[in-house]
Amino acid sequence: MTTEWAVKSEDAQRAPSGLKRFVNDERMILVLLVGAVFAVLVLPPLLFLVNGAITVSQNGVTHFSLARFTSLLAEPDIWMSALNSVLFALGSAVLALLIGGINAWLVERTDTPYKPLAYLTTIISLGTPYVLYTSSWLLLLARSGPINSWYRDLTGSTGVLINVYGLGGMILVEGLLWSPLVFLLLGATLRNFNPELEEAARMSGASAFQMLRRITMRLSLPSVLALAMLVFIRSSEAFEVPALVGLPGRVHVLTTDIYDLMHRSMPPDIGSASTLSLVLLGVVSLLLYYYGRLTRNAEKFATITGKNFRPNRLPLGRMRALGGAVLVLNFLLLLILPMLILVWASLLPFYQTVRSSAFKLLTLDNYAHVFESSRYLSLLGNTFIIAIVTATAVMVLTAIAAWLTVRRVPGARVLDQLGTVPLVFPGIVLGVGVMQLFLNVPIGVYGTIWIIVWAFVINYLPYGTRYSFAGMLQVHRELEEVAAMSGATPFTGFRRIVMPLLAPSLIAGWLFIFLLSTRVLALPVLLSGPSSQTMAVAMFDLWSNGQGPELAALGLVWCGAMTIIALTFYFVARRSGVGMYGQG
Amino acid sequence: MACRRPFSGAIFLIAFAAVWLPATARADQAMIDAAKKEGQLTWYTTQIIDQFARPAAQAFEKKYGVKVNYVRANSNDVALRVLNEGRANNMQADVFDGTTATAALKKEGLVAQYVPENAKRLPKTYVDVEGYWVATNLYVLTPGYNTELIKKGTEPRNFQDLLDPKYKGKIAWGSSSSSSAAPGFVGLILAVMGEEKGMAYLRQLAKQSPTGLSVAARQVLDQVISGEYALALNIFNNHAVISAAKGAPVDWIPMSPALGVLSVISVTKAAPHPNAARLFLEFLMSEDGQKLFRAADYLPVDPNVPPKDKSLQPDGDKFKVVFKTPEEIDRDMPRWTTIYQDIFR
Repeated sequence: MTTEWAVKSEDAQRAPSGLKRFVNDERMILVLLVGAVFAVLVLPPLLFLVNGAITVSQNGVTHFSLARFTSLLAEPDIWMSALNSVLFALGSAVLALLIGGINAWLVERTDTPYKPLAYLTTIISLGTPYVLYTSSWLLLLARSGPINSWYRDLTGSTGVLINVYGLGGMILVEGLLWSPLVFLLLGATLRNFNPELEEAARMSGASAFQMLRRITMRLSLPSVLALAMLVFIRSSEAFEVPALVGLPGRVHVLTTDIYDLMHRSMPPDIGSASTLSLVLLGVVSLLLYYYGRLTRNAEKFATITGKNFRPNRLPLGRMRALGGAVLVLNFLLLLILPMLILVWASLLPFYQTVRSSAFKLLTLDNYAHVFESSRYLSLLGNTFIIAIVTATAVMVLTAIAAWLTVRRVPGARVLDQLGTVPLVFPGIVLGVGVMQLFLNVPIGVYGTIWIIVWAFVINYLPYGTRYSFAGMLQVHRELEEVAAMSGATPFTGFRRIVMPLLAPSLIAGWLFIFLLSTRVLALPVLLSGPSSQTMAVAMFDLWSNGQGPELAALGLVWCGAMTIIALTFYFVARRSGVGMYGQG
Repeated sequence: MACRRPFSGAIFLIAFAAVWLPATARADQAMIDAAKKEGQLTWYTTQIIDQFARPAAQAFEKKYGVKVNYVRANSNDVALRVLNEGRANNMQADVFDGTTATAALKKEGLVAQYVPENAKRLPKTYVDVEGYWVATNLYVLTPGYNTELIKKGTEPRNFQDLLDPKYKGKIAWGSSSSSSAAPGFVGLILAVMGEEKGMAYLRQLAKQSPTGLSVAARQVLDQVISGEYALALNIFNNHAVISAAKGAPVDWIPMSPALGVLSVISVTKAAPHPNAARLFLEFLMSEDGQKLFRAADYLPVDPNVPPKDKSLQPDGDKFKVVFKTPEEIDRDMPRWTTIYQDIFR
């Protein structure tokens, strides 16, 4: 199948028929428009990053130098840290894909019972503040945690059953953290599956497993690879889990080394963080290049065509119980256990491990504080506006960009690349880059909530891009061609045909970004002004003041509220989404 | 640095001069009027909002009718914000505080010289010789321990006790380049024992394989409270008291000498509200302001406002403190960090 519209630029030069030129123009204008927005968003922090990496300032004079790269390479044990980084990122990606992938397949493509548990798990875990979710795993698995202390009580040993401090523990926690994202994104892909190919396989005598391996998995390959890449890059950039779980076990990775290097001076030396990011950017570009080649023939993967379809669900038969057990286990592991330990922590005046002597300490004081404090209420408004505007802006921008890219409009490839670049911005580089932009372009944004929105939109562009791109790959062009033949302009085709079909991916992405923007701490703390304080700042305050129990109480109340919002949104959207497929 | 000497001759002279110089009367009316005209000030602070930042802002507003807009962040973020605002000639902050950032920002020419009248009665340790900062409160860094894992009375009392093999693998400290983490302890040991003996001691201590945690001192102490480690080095001693008051199994050890760090406050050079900023410094250094620190369980610098728990404060006799100024910390921290990385990592 040739790429009709894309190749048309040549056609148009030869025989510029009015209609064709208009078709080309409208899409070209869109490319320029979205491209301009992306450039304005992404380029300033990128330039800031490159500038920080290749210049050195001495006695107030800034000059070009590659000294940062050489000093990075001269760091002792840098290669060991690099190896740890790769192992950690690879392990986390594999674990997240396994857990998220199995759950997504069970929920979307089989008749497994207890499916709502999977959604509940995903949505609540995404709504929990990151620092709380990570610490809840640590509380469970620590040397003094319940698992190890029960083990000691039972066996009389003085050692530990599980030593979480190390590479294994890091991979476990990071992999679990990312599995909800994988579940959401792969779920959207699998839901939009045309069953014809699978049916053909079954009719040709393939077993269920053969069908899964040779048809289902192959067709989801672009999504799976995109996700693997996302988790891999994000984990190699991760700081919290390596710092909290790895360093006590003396496992160093690149990010923790860079953090050490950066904080030897005060104020922190942003340049060394930029240097690492630049190296990572190189690696990511390489990965993206191969990913681009892999998805070059996008039509191969398109499963939403003009034909009526509804993905069929594989009857598991006697294996149904096993499928249900997997979902229940996932629910216990990813939701109930961390939540229980958080509830336990939230009831204590100071943190104690789960043991009988601590029961007499239990109190509701922390909840009383949370509900009495009028401060939290006043922070809610800012937090919501930021999250809603960010999620909407990112999804609209990336949906258009993904459509233009997948339909191979000339120049659109750049959009995909620009949208992916922020993946390598470390929080501090992005924060300072955006800060400098609005300090030097004084249009009254500095110190308001809009500077946080701006930074968040940049930060989450890659996620939106992946969500939209993965969804877009599945929508076959023939539907738009029908619309075009009926006289619709390309943009009308996009709005009326593509957008509704993309809805599951877009909604999943919106939800993900909404929840993420409400729970991330670092950027708001760096960028908020006196009148733009958010919940993140309050949480950071509790965290740095050793008020872990009150933070747990606040976090639980917060994630209860988030869950209600997210579930309402999800079910409303899902209901209307199902209607959009045309066979309700 | 010297230990606290409350009434040295220099202090007397300064106090004397303060009384006799009419142009610098305490928080004089002209300053108050000018501050009221400005109407507000912006304060970048490392103080915890609920405990100190908000009560102080409210008390100031009540007294002078000048609004305080506070922004809370850690010292890195405060430094980054002031630095970038200064370089862009778009200073938003009027006042900022912290333990080390001031020295670096001073070098960048972003800090104004201002010594509050109310600070002139203080020991000179607490005021910058160049007049760029004044200390509002003290942090005293000592070891802290879990009283369930180490019975009270058997806790280590001096540096040699820390080398007891029974503590091997049970000690934690912060790993960041901070005075309230391992590098700060390195600096203390080198100051107390001298280069050669100090390094020998640190090599001995490394055999205990203390765990470096990449979190703030407060969270290192929290991990000791939860029983993950038995002993923490270089934690804020008032944190142990605050937690013990809630019933947590924790206490601090007056291991002498301890490391003393000043929390200092400054006015920015390009402050948009310079008079309100100065008035705010006067307020924090006044007895009323110092009492706010006491109410929050901090150690005030004012000798007339003793902390709630007096034992927290060094007495200069059995419990001595080595003070490090922001400038000294700024100068020596890279070296202490390198030593820590070389020996303990």
